[in-house]
Formats: sequence, C-alpha cells, structure tokens
Amino acid sequence: MLKPILLVEDNPHDLELTLIALERSQLANEVVIMRDGAEALNYLQRTGAYADRADRADGNPAVLLLDLKLPKVDGLEVLKTVRETAELRSIPVVMLTSSREEPDLMKAYELGVNAYVVKPVEFKDFVAAISDLGIFWAVLNEPPPGSLRLKRARNKDEKN
Amino acid sequence: MTTTEAQELLQAIDRCADEPIHIPGSIQPHGFLLVVSEPELRVQQVSENVQHWLGIDARSLLGQPLSNLLPTARIEAGLTALSEDDHNPFHLSDVSIGLTGVAGQAFALLGHRHRGQLILEFERAETSGQAYDTLYPLMRTFVAQLQDSRELEALCQLAVREVKRITGFGRVKAYRFDAEDNGVVLAEVADPGYPSYLGLCFPAADIPQQARRLYRENLIRVIQDANYQPSPLVPALNPVSGAPLDLSFAALRSVSPVHLQYMRNMGTLASMSISIVIRDRLWGLISCHDAEPRAVSYQTRTACGLLGRILSLQIEARESETLAQRKLELRHQIVHLLAAMADRDSVVEGFRHFPEVVLGFAGADGAAIISADKCETAGATPDHEQILQLAQWLGERRDELVFHSDCISRDIPDMPALGEHCAGVMAISISRLHAHYLIWFRHEQIKTVNWAGQPEKQIDRQSGALTPRHSFEQWQETLRGYAQPWDQVVIEGALELRNAVLGIVLRKAEEMAQLAGELRASNKELEAFSYSVSHDLRAPLRHIAGYTELLSEMESKQLSERGMRFLDNIADAARFAGTLVDNLLSFSQMGRSALRLSDVDLGALVASILEELAPDCEGRQIEWHLLPMPIVVADAAFIHMVLRNLIDNAVKYSRTREVAVIEVGAEQRAGEVVVYVRDNGVGFDMQYSSKLFGVFQRLHRMEEFEGIGIGLASVRRIIERHDGQVWAEGQLDKGATFYFSLPKLSYTSSLLDRDI
Repeated sequence: MLKPILLVEDNPHDLELTLIALERSQLANEVVIMRDGAEALNYLQRTGAYADRADRADGNPAVLLLDLKLPKVDGLEVLKTVRETAELRSIPVVMLTSSREEPDLMKAYELGVNAYVVKPVEFKDFVAAISDLGIFWAVLNEPPPGSLRLKRARNKDEKN
Repeated sequence: MTTTEAQELLQAIDRCADEPIHIPGSIQPHGFLLVVSEPELRVQQVSENVQHWLGIDARSLLGQPLSNLLPTARIEAGLTALSEDDHNPFHLSDVSIGLTGVAGQAFALLGHRHRGQLILEFERAETSGQAYDTLYPLMRTFVAQLQDSRELEALCQLAVREVKRITGFGRVKAYRFDAEDNGVVLAEVADPGYPSYLGLCFPAADIPQQARRLYRENLIRVIQDANYQPSPLVPALNPVSGAPLDLSFAALRSVSPVHLQYMRNMGTLASMSISIVIRDRLWGLISCHDAEPRAVSYQTRTACGLLGRILSLQIEARESETLAQRKLELRHQIVHLLAAMADRDSVVEGFRHFPEVVLGFAGADGAAIISADKCETAGATPDHEQILQLAQWLGERRDELVFHSDCISRDIPDMPALGEHCAGVMAISISRLHAHYLIWFRHEQIKTVNWAGQPEKQIDRQSGALTPRHSFEQWQETLRGYAQPWDQVVIEGALELRNAVLGIVLRKAEEMAQLAGELRASNKELEAFSYSVSHDLRAPLRHIAGYTELLSEMESKQLSERGMRFLDNIADAARFAGTLVDNLLSFSQMGRSALRLSDVDLGALVASILEELAPDCEGRQIEWHLLPMPIVVADAAFIHMVLRNLIDNAVKYSRTREVAVIEVGAEQRAGEVVVYVRDNGVGFDMQYSSKLFGVFQRLHRMEEFEGIGIGLASVRRIIERHDGQVWAEGQLDKGATFYFSLPKLSYTSSLLDRDI
C-alpha cells in the first residue's frame, strides 16, 4: 500500500480542481482530504477525531499539500507544528498558494517548507504543476533512509 | 624696481606706519604750549619756544604756579566748563602776557584735557569779532545751500568752496576713501597756478594707519608752514606720568617729517585737513593747501570743524537714504522671488520664472541655480560644466554662507577658465545638506585709475627713511580682471534671500517628510490590499479557467459551436484577468524593492533585448538604427525592463508599416544621460501624451493592439526610482519617440536626494 497524499484545502472549487489534477496525474496514492489546519493537525498527530489512527499506525503521508490560507490554523502554523514534531518532521510539505507574497514565501522557507507553489491560473498549467508535484514527492523522492521503508513494509504487513 | 629695493620699500613703509605721531615730543612753533597740574595749576611741561614768545627760559617755568605768568581767574572758570569727554581744545580766554613792565602780547588760550593731563596752547589772538562778522554768515549760507544739493559731488563742491572762502587757502579739495582706502578727489576749487587733482586717486599708502586714526579722532589738523622748526617740550617726559605727552588733540602737534617732505614735494607750504567721519569711519577729507605759509585762527578752525560735521551729517543722511532705498528695492525683489518660489513650491521654478528679478537683484549679468546636479541659468554665464565645477569648489568651503569676489582670477586661481567668462561671482548655498547654490556672475569691467603720481613711495638712499614721491603728475593704471565690487547691501540681501530660501526648502522638506510618512503608511495599506486583491482574485479566476477547461473538455459534444466559442471567450477573459492581476502585483512590488546599482552597458542590453524579441519580429521587415550607447550606473534588471518595454512597444506599434524603422540612441547631457527609442509606427495624439504613462491607460482599442496598459507605467515607475524622467513625443500616424533620462549616479548616490 502506498502512503497517502494529504491535501489540506478549504475552498471546495480548489479542492475539486486539485483532485481532478491529481487524478489526471494517475498517481496510485490515496488522497486524504482535510478542510482546515486544525483538522490536518489532528490527523497528523492522531488526536481528536483521528485518535483511532494511533492504533492503526498507518504511517505518515507521502507528502503534505498544504494551502497557505486555511481556517482555524493556517498553513504556516501547520508547517511549523509539523517541523517541530519529531515524528512528523520528515514529511515533505508543499505549500500551495494563490499568489506569491514575499513575506509568506520567506516565512515558509524559514519554517522548512520543501516547495512553495503559486497555483497557475491556466488549468492546463495547474494540472501539470500538481501532477509534477505528486510524481516528484510521492514517487520519485527518496525519503530519509530507514524509517519509511521499514514503515512501508510494516504497513504492508498490517494491512495484509 | 628690484626685489631688494621692493623689500626695503616695504620695510620703510612699515617704519612709517610705526612712527608714533601722536607723541612727537615737539610742537609747531606758531604758538607755545604748557602742561599744568590740576587743581594747583603748576607748570609741568613747557615748549622750549616760550623763550621766543615770552623771552622766558622754559626750564625756569617748571614747577611755577601758572598765576605767576598770567591771571588765572578766568582760566579756572573756563576749566570747570571743560567737559571730560570732549578732548578738543576749548577757547578759555584771550590773555595778555607780558614781562613785568613790558606791554603784553595778546594770545588766544586754548585748553583741553587728554589722558588726565591739562594742556594749554597759546596762539596769537585774532579779533574775536571776526567770527560774528564773517564766519557765521558764511556758515549760514552754506547750511541753507547744503539742503538744496542732492548729489554727493555737489555737496562736496559746496563744502570746498565754502572752506576756501573761510580760510583763503589756494586750493581746497574734497576726497573720499574707497574700500581700499585710496582717496579719490571728488571736488576741488583752486586758485590759478595750482595743479588740479580733480578725479585723481591718491594711494592708500599716502596716509598711514595711525594718521588715519588721528584724523578720525581729531577732526582738524593744521600745518602753517612746512618749513617750520619744531619746538621740543621740556622736559621730554611728563614728570607725573613719566611718559611722552600725548598730543593727539593738540592744535600745535608737530607732524611727521615724512609728511612735511610730502608737502614740499607737492609744492605746498601750508595745509589744513578737515576730516569727514561717518559712522566712525574716515569717509574722506577736505584738504586745503597753499603754496605759502598760512595761519589759521582758532575761530576759523572751529568754523571749519563745524562745517566738516555738518557735511558729514549731510553725507551720512544721503547715504542712509540711498541705502534705505536700495534695501527697500532689494527687499521687494526678494519678496517677489520668494513668492514665486513658494507659489511653485520650488526654488528652481521660482528662479526660472523671473530671471530678470534674479539678475536685477544683484545687478548681475548672469545667474545660475544648482540643485541635485541640475543647473539652470539666466543671462550670460559660463557653461554648465564650469558652473558645476564652481559649485564643487564652493562646496569645499562650506563654512561660508555667502561667497563673493570681484576678481575671480585672484580669488579662485584653481579655475582659470572661469575667468574667461566672468570676473565677479557671488554665491549663496541654498541647502544645509547639499552643494546647492545660487550664483551670480558679473562681467569684467576694465577699470582705469588715474593715480596722482605713480603710487610707489621711494626710500631715501642715505637714511633708509621713506621719502614721498616727487611727481604728482597723473599716472594712469588699467586694471583688468575686475568686476564691479558687490555692495555690502547686496551681499546682505543675498544672505537674507538665502535664509528665506532655506526656510522654503526646510518647510518643503518637512512637508515631504510628513508626506513620505503618510505615503509609507498608505503604501503599506496598498501593499496589503494588492496582495489580498491579487490573491482573492486569482482564486476565482483560476476556478473559472479550470471549470471552463473541464466543461469544454467533457461536454463539448453537447455544446453548439457558438457555445464552444463562448467558452473560449470565458477562458480568454479569465487568462487575461489573471495576467492583469499578476502584473498589477509585480508593478506594486517594483516600487518597493531596493535598487541594485551597477554598471549597465546600455548597448549590450539593447542587443540582448533584440535577441529576446526575435520571435516577435519574424516575418516583419524592421530597419534597426542602433546608435552607440553609454555605460550608466543603474539597476540592470529594471533598466532591462524599461528598454524591453519601449522596444517592444516600438515593434508592436510599427507593425502596420511595410518597413518599420526603429532607432535606439542616447545623448549625454549635463549631469544626465537621455535615452530614446523612436519608431515610425502609428504614433499618438500629443493631447493624450499625459495619459501615456498612467496605469491601465491605453490609447488604442484592444483589437488594434493588444496589451494591458501597464508597460509604460512600469517604465515611468522605474525611471522615477532612478530620479530620472520620462516623456514622449509623437504625432498620429507619424511615429513616436519615447525618452527617459537617467541622472549620472554613483554607487553611493542617495536617491532620496530631493530636498528642492
């Protein structure tokens, strides 16, 4: 079983279009959808509504696609928590945003974002960008040695 | 003259200036002098010639009570009336002194106190009625006539005529000392046979400084006979003070032998000088000469002294009036200029609008204003390069608020070329921080001085003492490289102007600082706004584009051809709106990001832009005229954007031409480089030229020429960030030329340098 892609997006249109884009990139990964920052953190930290995930230990997502502006807890805060939490630290995080804004960009890199992507207006470009991201982070990128491979194997075992 | 001779002469002049003429230790022999103690009235010092006048040995009088010599009752009464402040000899009484049993001689007794000593001078008495009979009526007429004369020369002429009438001297002249203390003869009355000196100039060295000081204090000085034998005082030192007697105010004071020689050289045996003192300065002299020895009674002297005072007052009044008038005039002009500057909120603009006031103010032939490396001129000035150089020179001597020179070849030797265009310069700095100046220029005025004899004194070969020149023949000297000197009142006016201008500049700076603060705040707001707008707009645009795309992909079969076209239009519109939002955002960022100055080779930049544009030029016939371009200091990326925009436009708007002609060139000007891009395209109507550089301003319909109207706005923004300017010239269907100027910057240039 491939690790899922965690998509955090509050806007339903963006969500739909992103999902279509991911679909077109023909990634096999499951896409887990969270609609705000707090929910995303619950999922990642296996707390609140996702406390049960603690037992299932289905591992961390392959990549976190994070919208910058989110209700409750915004993208940068989610990123900050991820980087400050030992178990989550190695998750690749891609910040998705509607426009390039210097301070946010700087802040995101300071917090250790892996990529910062301004969503193109043109749909074709958008599809291409999302698909490139998915392929790169979920397939091509080699995660830190040890943990992931192990987890992947264990995941498999457990699922089976 | 050889160098050694010149040196000896200088030393002799120094000695001459050192001669203590107020303590000569002797008197002229046409009277005698006693110094008596107070209140005992015992004789302390006496002139040796009492022997001659009274037949008494001088030494025998020492220590004697004055009453032994003459009745003292009236003298004592007169002494109580003698003011402590007035040092001038005061007529105490006429006395008759005679040795016992011999008929006495009548003497006029004049007393004055100076430095605590009572000095009594005795002269041969005239009839006292003379004053009332002749002098007072003469004076009365003189005073009445004085009031009618307006001109300085007429005043002086009247005075010399009057003095001649009162005194009977052979020649009376009035002269005025110029700024260098040379005396120019303004008025003269002379009997036949006397050489005339009218209009001639007597060099300052003729009257040494200490003599001038005496002239200033003691307004009358008489030498009755240049061939006199001085009579020494006995004893030489005053027994009480132990010092030589100060004869500054004594009528009988003996004068310098150099002066007596000077008189004899001039063919003068008697002389009298009346000082004209105005505001404590020796303004001039009325100088009387006679070929023969001549006595001047104390009454006549008193009358002449009075006349001198009246004349001084009149001259002072005239000068004050002229000065007041001139000041008023200057004030008017200053107010005029300041109003113009304040109205336009710019010192430079005010200057530009009233060149005649700027010039008239200082009586100058040319003027220039230098601010931020820009130079505006009016009238006849040296070229800009030289003016900027001068400003730099002025900048190195910052401590002077106003600089002025009537001979720049003498005062600014480092700039010989400047002297070819002007001779006089006056400059005020008009910024506390920067080398900004207002400068006036005056042409050379070739000055001819008619000296009364060659103004070099000579040295007596034997004694090494100074001997005055022997010839007073007119000797003409031509002075070159001089301009009319700047009047003190003009210099003061310039200073006043400077203070007021600084006020304007300062006020403007304050306003600008406040404005800058407000702007910063509103910029911040705008920044936040443009971000949220672009962010918030981008999202729905993306959605429109996305869903349109999906719709046309998935549902095209259900749609009519028209419906499909509508979908395409929606997609286009969304795409266009997206670009618009992106450009708007980058435009707002352009104003904020810091300039990175470096050397920019404009020629290379143009070449690279042409390469980038090659795809757009395909299938087009374009004739490129690329002129040589300089290397400038600017932000390379920004200037690239500017040139790219302008060349892009030139290509775009000339595409209707069969052969497009595009010229790119640059021009070096004072302090700046002007770059232009010219095409033979569709051009524009000059009446819309002001809209060209506005954001989202377009002069063409969308289907004619695509574009969103932000290119030229960006160009302007970038150039203004460099402190340059943009402008354009065009004509409908005849092409257009776009210009931008870049000031010559250095890496350290502060681009906030705009306090004017």
